[in-house]
Amino acid sequence: MSDNNYEPRIVVFACNWCTYAAVDLAGTSRMQYPPNVRVIRVMCSGRIDPQFVLTAFKQGADGVIVAGCHPPSDCHYISGNIKALRRYTLFRRLLDELGIEKERFRLEWISASEANKWVKVVNEMVEDLKRLGPIKIEVGVV
Amino acid sequence: MSEEPRVGVFICHCGLNIAARVDVKAVSEYAKTLPNVVVSHDYVFMCSTVGQELIKEEIKKHNLNRIVVAACSPSMHEPTFRAAIESAGLNKYLLEMANIREHCSWAHSDKEAATEKAKDLVRMAVAKARLLEPLEEIEFQASPTALVLGGGVAGMRAAIDLAEYGFNVYLVEKSPTLGGRAALTGWLESDKRGADVVNNLINKIAENKNIQVFTNAELIEFSGFPGNFTAKIRVNPRYVNERCVLCGECEAECPIEVANEYQYGLSRRKAIFFPFKAAYPPMYVIDQRVCIRCGECVKACRYDAINLNKQPAILELKVGALIIATGYDPYQPPKGEYAYGLHSNIITLFQLERLLDKDGPTQGKLIIGGSIPRRIAFILCVGSRNTTPNSRNYCSRMCCTSTLTNAIKIKERYPSTDVYVLYQDINTYGNDESLYEQAGEKLVKFVKFEDPPVVDIGPEGLVIEVREVTIQEDISIPVDAIVLSVGMVPRRDVTDLISITRVSCGSEGFLREAHLKLNPVEAPTSGIFLAGAVTGPKNIIESIRAGSASASKVAALLSKGKVKAEPFTAIVNEERCSGCRICIGICPYKAITLREVDGRKVAYVEKALCMGCGTCSATCPSGAMQQYSFKDRQIIEQTIAAIRR
Repeated sequence: MSDNNYEPRIVVFACNWCTYAAVDLAGTSRMQYPPNVRVIRVMCSGRIDPQFVLTAFKQGADGVIVAGCHPPSDCHYISGNIKALRRYTLFRRLLDELGIEKERFRLEWISASEANKWVKVVNEMVEDLKRLGPIKIEVGVV
Repeated sequence: MSEEPRVGVFICHCGLNIAARVDVKAVSEYAKTLPNVVVSHDYVFMCSTVGQELIKEEIKKHNLNRIVVAACSPSMHEPTFRAAIESAGLNKYLLEMANIREHCSWAHSDKEAATEKAKDLVRMAVAKARLLEPLEEIEFQASPTALVLGGGVAGMRAAIDLAEYGFNVYLVEKSPTLGGRAALTGWLESDKRGADVVNNLINKIAENKNIQVFTNAELIEFSGFPGNFTAKIRVNPRYVNERCVLCGECEAECPIEVANEYQYGLSRRKAIFFPFKAAYPPMYVIDQRVCIRCGECVKACRYDAINLNKQPAILELKVGALIIATGYDPYQPPKGEYAYGLHSNIITLFQLERLLDKDGPTQGKLIIGGSIPRRIAFILCVGSRNTTPNSRNYCSRMCCTSTLTNAIKIKERYPSTDVYVLYQDINTYGNDESLYEQAGEKLVKFVKFEDPPVVDIGPEGLVIEVREVTIQEDISIPVDAIVLSVGMVPRRDVTDLISITRVSCGSEGFLREAHLKLNPVEAPTSGIFLAGAVTGPKNIIESIRAGSASASKVAALLSKGKVKAEPFTAIVNEERCSGCRICIGICPYKAITLREVDGRKVAYVEKALCMGCGTCSATCPSGAMQQYSFKDRQIIEQTIAAIRR
């Protein structure tokens, strides 16, 4: 479907306490994973406004990951992750309306100790996106 | 800040940690092409004094007003660089870090790709830095009081140290007595027992006026922030009061008998009982789970010390900090693992220590199944190191040392008893290595296995079948008794504690430190500290050490009387706010209310209550609610920069 040199670009919005720390741990543990991800740190997954995700797609991101602490109770701020869960459950339907394939967006719960899960998620997503090819999105739609 | 951003970019090599995988010179050159970047440098260790001086000099020389440091994770050196720019006269929140080590050089071996990623991360950081605003930390009064959860050696040590520093301490213990596991297990040097250390600590606590002890008590709610937490505890009744003189007449009359957990089930106790010799507070207690409320004990008591109608009490405590020192559970082998539970002569290491203890059910005599075993075998790594399907990944550290200590004790007391130790590896770490030699001198027989031994219960008794890997032979060892050297596992109720305090745990279920080396007794949540085996297997000495360490950390936090918090709170643009109240419902801290401004109702954020999650900002339909340092514009610019080169 796409040429072999295609490298998807993935924007990650990660909470400070769980997922950002898991990415740190993956590095500290010298786990290797594809360099296609760019992590943006926020304090809580509850902070991640859908407009950030849409901005990423509009700019040409091939994939977006929203990641935080495991529901129900790992959230550093009581329930920000639950709010993110509810928000992005609805948001997925919107992506469908926009013609953005569901594989291009992932909501993941990765605790600070789950560096291996982080690596697995990145590997899977890069593989999925390579199969899908670059995002085709009409500027102006989002 | 209305002035034009003047950004300085500082790229760290971290020795070769970054420079081996990222072309730091190329990244530095690239940074110079980014908007508002006035100057860019690379240096071998930016966190060193020389590196920090470089930043300070450049701030002054070029009148820089935003700083980007591309180096390690902000969790590592953000405080260092904040302090550096502050000392050069800049507000410390005008710093943005690009994580090109943990998130880049350590994770990607392709130098070209890693360099490109590092450039992107720097570009993203510059995009955000251009929009950073000066902020001031929020300052709060701090309560000079600490709550310590867990009355084992770690918690008691922490409580004593804090009390000696002059703080008030609430020491909350779930069981009816202080002491914890060390009261029942553990040998220290020569014949000194864990119990002896426990007695010593209990005496110190009993005489210290700064420590208030709650036994039979548990944490049920925890909220607030460092310096100002509110802890709700439930104190369950013990039904016996201070008039108790430990005469034991109630116990004699009590008709209910259950396995005694303070002897690991080796003896029986009544529903009304006294846990162990040095138990504190020194009063009997009624186990309400088994008591049938027959009233025989009340009749027997001549001191009016028993009241069966006592109700639980709920207390609300204001504390500045929390130390979690709730310990561990011994691994409980499932029935059938090494024939455990199928033959009464198969016991655990914890039970063996009760048998060898002069305060144990046999007054220190090694009597198993009615007689002194002539041949006894220890099996190591039970429940640890993936030996069986049910076991954990990790090594429990203390079982090798403890096994050899007990093996030596048995040989000393019963020289004619043959003692076998079946092991994968012997890890008597540190000074305890000498135990291995001593055990050898006392003719303890070591048998090395790779595949777990099989325990057969034959007509003649117990037989262990094992492949000895050093001699590469299958051997059978007939024995009279088997001791399973079980490891340590997270307490079963630790998950409740996690949901109450919102600390986090690692994959094995032990609580996780903020940083294993830099913050080994701090939880990732500030104001909460961790001591002892709650973070993973530790011996008594290590737990006591962690107790002291956590106390000193609490003292550092509370001794100034004030605590500071990050200023990443929510802020309302009152002109934009329509007063729709959506943020009020979504705020987990009830920090938002409506107030009237110029005749309109608009949202108002109580800074002292806002914890800075930013959920309200993400939810606000009109973009009126923002979060300092994580404003929509700042994150969006960072997002655009992540893609657009």
